[in-house]
Amino acid sequence: MKDALRRFRDEIADGTVLGPVRAVVGLLLGWQALVAAAELSRLGYFGDAFHMPLVPEALVPSHRVYALSLALRVCLAVMVTLGIWARPALAASALLAAWALLCDRLQFHHNRYSLACYALLLSLTPCDRSWRAPEAGGPALREGPFWGVRLAQVQVSLVYLASGGSKLLDPDWRTGLVLADRVARHAHLAVDAGVPRALVDFLARADVTSALAKAAITMELVLVLGPWLRPTRVIVLWFGLWFHAVIQLTAKVETFSILTVAMYGLFATPDRAARTISFDPSTFRGRLAAATVMLLDWLERFELRPWEPDDRRGHAIVIVRRDGTTVTGIRAFAMLTRCLPALFPLWAPAALVASFTKRGDLSTRA
Amino acid sequence: MRAFPSARLLFAAMWVGAQLALILTAARRPDGVFGFRMFPESSTVAVTLYRDVAGEGGVSLRMPVQDGTWTARDRSGAPKMVSWKDRVRRPELATFDTEMSASYGAAAQIMRWQAALEDVATHLDGDADTRRLALEITVRRNGHEPRVVRLESQERR
Repeated sequence: MKDALRRFRDEIADGTVLGPVRAVVGLLLGWQALVAAAELSRLGYFGDAFHMPLVPEALVPSHRVYALSLALRVCLAVMVTLGIWARPALAASALLAAWALLCDRLQFHHNRYSLACYALLLSLTPCDRSWRAPEAGGPALREGPFWGVRLAQVQVSLVYLASGGSKLLDPDWRTGLVLADRVARHAHLAVDAGVPRALVDFLARADVTSALAKAAITMELVLVLGPWLRPTRVIVLWFGLWFHAVIQLTAKVETFSILTVAMYGLFATPDRAARTISFDPSTFRGRLAAATVMLLDWLERFELRPWEPDDRRGHAIVIVRRDGTTVTGIRAFAMLTRCLPALFPLWAPAALVASFTKRGDLSTRA
Repeated sequence: MRAFPSARLLFAAMWVGAQLALILTAARRPDGVFGFRMFPESSTVAVTLYRDVAGEGGVSLRMPVQDGTWTARDRSGAPKMVSWKDRVRRPELATFDTEMSASYGAAAQIMRWQAALEDVATHLDGDADTRRLALEITVRRNGHEPRVVRLESQERR
């Protein structure tokens, strides 16, 4: 136990993978500030009308100060996104966003509070080492203390534990009544949007909503621990990604799904360029693969190396994995889907197909 | 090696402790704020507004209000339009006689409507007629049979 605490306190790791996470959080902070500004323009200043502060009324800002705080939040969000003094900007953004929620309980949404929490925790991490504007300031080192990352990971687990646990303890949720009523009340909207009537009718069946409710609760509870364990991490995060995609499409959750999926980046192993891609620059396929990786390797998982073209026909790319083994063909594609965030939704089917191939190669012989 | 425990461990322990405390006590707060209870219910509310005015012989009469707007006399006796929306701007707390989704659950909406009711009642500066405001909220929780919740403001002087 003491060793674990010491590791937590003293761990130093490469912060490259945190750059894209910070950039997404910056965009979401900016989006939230703009939504609040639009609300200010549409509904007027909340303090002039009925509101429910969680702090003493004396701490609720005046109209002018509130408007200034929104402008400041937008500026800070830009700084976070571009990596300009990103960590102080994250902390200040988090505090301003939390202050706004405390000044009016009616504006509280879990996703807004979650964003403030994650922004504050990210400010404690070396998230300013990549994805930053040139001359942005901050340390040149890639590495930094990782205790804040571990704490942010704990926060992800706590959110799933609270959400899944509260549903598990609620008989209406457990038995599927909540989902059944949601489906019944919104069925006409789904049909109007083009969802086949037969599918909507199927989803409205009591046994189906009961099964879906149990699956959703199980999914959330699996996401509490699954990302922490290396053998289950990638599969759990893949299911989590699609779980949140479905939620985003079927419910009004503002930016919660995007935020949570971005936080999955915290679970990426901090090993920059630990894999190598050798590509054939003399073929279109090789150049295309290299360009794709250069464009989508946001977490900097790969080192790209062109090889000397030869007369033998063969692979466009060869990936050397962390353990030194090489993969080509469909297994290389599966590897790319695992490591490139934009292709990650394809990972499970790609890995499944790859698992059936002889030495992982459908197209050429070794 | 630095002293053990360090400020980092202390901060982490306080953060996790605070989060757990907020999560475990979320059920005590009607709207479950800070509790991460996503999609807690599939409930609806439909709200009707009433105002109590003095009838013949000083007997209180309860009158329904259409769309949150009514005409009342001020202290000089001049008629004046009064609107719930003068004080309550959020649409989910200013829409009447229409079934709406109760985001964050029925208890959250009842708490918010009660607070809005008190706020409006204490800001009826140009209305010398209304003695009290009241709400009738038809709540349907997770598809169960509807029930009616009646809320009243403090009596105005």
